[in-house]
Amino acid sequence: MKAWKLLGLALVGYSLYAGLMFEVPKLIRLNETIRNLYFHVPMWFTMIVLLAGSLVYSLRFLRSGDLGSSVNMLRDRQAKIFAEVAMVFALLGLFTGMVWAKATWGAFWTADPKLNGTAVTLLIYAAYFVLRGSVEDPEKSARLAAVYNVFAFVMMIVFIGILPRMTDSLHPGNGGNPAFGNYDLDNGMRMVFYPAVIGWILIGWWIATLRVRIAQLQEQNFQNNFS
Amino acid sequence: MVRAKILAQFIRWEWTLEYRRSNGWFMPVLFAAMIGYLVNLLVRQPNPIQWLSLLWITLVFSSLQTAMRSFSASPSEWIYLNQLARPAELLIGKSITTALNTLFVAWTGVLLFGLWLGWPTPEGMDRFPFFTFMVSISFGVIGMSSTLGFTAALSSKLSRNTGVMAILSLPLLLPTLLVALRTSKLALLGEPLSILYPNWLSELALSVLPIALGLLLFPYLWRS
Repeated sequence: MKAWKLLGLALVGYSLYAGLMFEVPKLIRLNETIRNLYFHVPMWFTMIVLLAGSLVYSLRFLRSGDLGSSVNMLRDRQAKIFAEVAMVFALLGLFTGMVWAKATWGAFWTADPKLNGTAVTLLIYAAYFVLRGSVEDPEKSARLAAVYNVFAFVMMIVFIGILPRMTDSLHPGNGGNPAFGNYDLDNGMRMVFYPAVIGWILIGWWIATLRVRIAQLQEQNFQNNFS
Repeated sequence: MVRAKILAQFIRWEWTLEYRRSNGWFMPVLFAAMIGYLVNLLVRQPNPIQWLSLLWITLVFSSLQTAMRSFSASPSEWIYLNQLARPAELLIGKSITTALNTLFVAWTGVLLFGLWLGWPTPEGMDRFPFFTFMVSISFGVIGMSSTLGFTAALSSKLSRNTGVMAILSLPLLLPTLLVALRTSKLALLGEPLSILYPNWLSELALSVLPIALGLLLFPYLWRS
């Protein structure tokens, strides 16, 4: 087992313990829910890193001279699986966020730019999977999906990165609300938050690479038995 | 790169074809008119903000209808087009014609909306700010058409493309749509030009971005 995987395990293990047990600032309304920062925010960082990974695989797929080669089809599979795992993290981030919103804002869902950004991201990548499924020829499916992946990623970054800053939001860091980092993310919290982010990114990456290996083995198995 | 002469020739050619196949452009116009009339029957006297939202819903679906046809040439036509022009020229030419077609449909839609549902005048205003409103609508529609042009090109490569195109486009349209809705709301409320200019600029930026991305990606889409 490589060192970065052990590091990921250690950091997530540490953040699970420290996140629940260490001291946190006492704030009105947030109370103990501030601990959710260690679990909710890393999900989004992991999602973005995995989607960026998926984008890089799609770009490498398109830039290859030989689109249909087995090396290149592996890149397509990597792009797909990284997007899938990213969507699992998006759902986890959404659920942890909804629980937090219920506790602090009073409702599971509000018409907030951050929530709209999440909904759009989920819809865009759902469309990506629909697109993959609607083409029979694997090479053509891979090519169209890679093109859509690049296009969709840029539009998504525009949407979740720029537009929420133009409208009002209850979410920290938007619409005049200060982000946590500005005043109440004290040094004690930083010592848990940053390791949690790095740890979850490593774990997410590991899950994705494992799923790629499983898919490769299944493909080999299929080839050996049926051809 | 892009040769202006070929581009102009291509657009003129598209235009002639479009005019000849009159059922081609008539269908989206009729679609916009039908939705407009349906809204008129179902929603009597909406307030200005509701009027605007209903208008944008009509515009989204009519633009989708218009753009869906923009890459629906037959295989033999594509072979001819590929000999005539380079991929970048094809994409830019198609984007321009799609934008013009969509604008035509959208303007018809807006005028019919005004005819049937009346022009809303918010409180404290004496008349409907027609000019600034139409500019805001037009920039928004151009933004939608440049995203839709790309998804239409993509889904023209699929065999069963009607449903897939809507699924691919609608989430991608949201950024453009939200900016356009906000801008046209500001125009409707009679804000001065100094507030509208930055919003028009962001509408324009959101129409240039998909075309720039499309130019980078179009060669890969067309390689087959």
